Amino acid sequence: MNGLRYIFKNFILVLLLSTGMNGFAQIDRLNRAQHLLQAKTPELAQPAIDSVIHHPETKDDFVSWTTRAYIYFEIYKKTDKQKLNSALRDTIISSVKKSNALKPDADYKNNNNKLLVSLSTHYYNIAKTLLQDSINDTRSAQAYNKCKELYLIVKPDTNFIARDIEYYVAVGSVYSNIFNNDNKNTKAHDIAKVAHLKVFDLQPDNIPANMNMGLMYLNQGINLVKSLDYGADISQIDAIQENIVKLAKQSEQFILKVYKKDNKNPKAVQALYYIYRLLNDSAKQEEFKNKSKELNIKLD
Amino acid sequence: MCLVSLRFQQPSNFDANAKIKAVFLYNFTRYFEWPDKKKNGNFIVYIVGKNDNLITELKNLASKKKVGVQDIEVKSTLTFDPSVNPQIIYLLPDVSSAVKDVASKNKSKGTLVVAENNGACKSGSSINFLVIENKLKFEYSKNNAVKAGLKTNDDFKALAINVD
Repeated sequence: MNGLRYIFKNFILVLLLSTGMNGFAQIDRLNRAQHLLQAKTPELAQPAIDSVIHHPETKDDFVSWTTRAYIYFEIYKKTDKQKLNSALRDTIISSVKKSNALKPDADYKNNNNKLLVSLSTHYYNIAKTLLQDSINDTRSAQAYNKCKELYLIVKPDTNFIARDIEYYVAVGSVYSNIFNNDNKNTKAHDIAKVAHLKVFDLQPDNIPANMNMGLMYLNQGINLVKSLDYGADISQIDAIQENIVKLAKQSEQFILKVYKKDNKNPKAVQALYYIYRLLNDSAKQEEFKNKSKELNIKLD
Repeated sequence: MCLVSLRFQQPSNFDANAKIKAVFLYNFTRYFEWPDKKKNGNFIVYIVGKNDNLITELKNLASKKKVGVQDIEVKSTLTFDPSVNPQIIYLLPDVSSAVKDVASKNKSKGTLVVAENNGACKSGSSINFLVIENKLKFEYSKNNAVKAGLKTNDDFKALAINVD
């Protein structure tokens, strides 16, 4: 009986030792992963850290998860920084979230936040590229919302109003320019209008948004006349005139808001001159002609 | 960080009114018949006064359209020149005081006198542009057109504000 007890005791001891050694092996693997990260070989660090975060000894350690986030970040920077959808980025974010859930110390928390801010900035740049180069408002908006989402994890009380205004003015500007160059592009008109309406919700007297909307309506009215055939009959001229008066009056509302805020705004003064000319309002046309002269604004 | 550099679209400086006036003038040619002596050579539209945009539009029109078989020719001077023998004279607002004189000098000559001034039809003009509710409309005096030596079409009266 005593012999049996001795054997069992030794068995437990061996078991404990081997488990402990395995734990040491995991910690060693974490050290190795960190070393490989410092050596700028994140691809070699990746399998090691993936093993670490699955092992019971190290899976609940915030160090493991933050280290994983940094290793994946180094790989991501090389290939996925410009991509809207990236599995590597998703892994970084989930790793940071896991680390944060494990209540990291101040240094690790700070490092986690730095990563999220970097990713947020990348999303912002992607939103910008998608808007300006690819002219893809839907994907751009996705990137912009992701940018905000990540930033709010770091600073939940951030007020995004100014940034939202800037973003929607940018969307409105890009698409109103497209529409002004091609009045048949009603999709661009609608996207620009929706973006500007979002700006007006946040800041009704926003100058760029009011200018863009006003110029869209003014140029739309003028383009209607430009496309009029010289052989059009009088009923067609009347119909066109009905439309251009409506468009010019819509344009006037927006441009006047800009003018009331800044009565020396050259673009507003110039646009009002053209609006009143379109409206056959000779008194106001003269008023803005004189104003243009005062401000050295070149008309016609 | 700024998303896009905001360069506003230029407001279009295209003079829509000049185009509309040009389209109206071309329309007028469908409703009058000029005397035989004016059916040869170019169809002359004579602008008196200053409106560069209108002249540009009319020249553009002339390059694309004809009146019957006649090519359209645009002439312009700042003051009335009686030596010009046009089918249409358009007296701009800055020479509105000349309407009476021009209309009387062109009586029975087969010249459609068009003006752009309050009461111009009373001074002898056949057609006078005016603005109603921000839109360009026109008055018409059939009597003056007949006195000018033109054959008129009654359909035209339905399109105009008649002053006779």
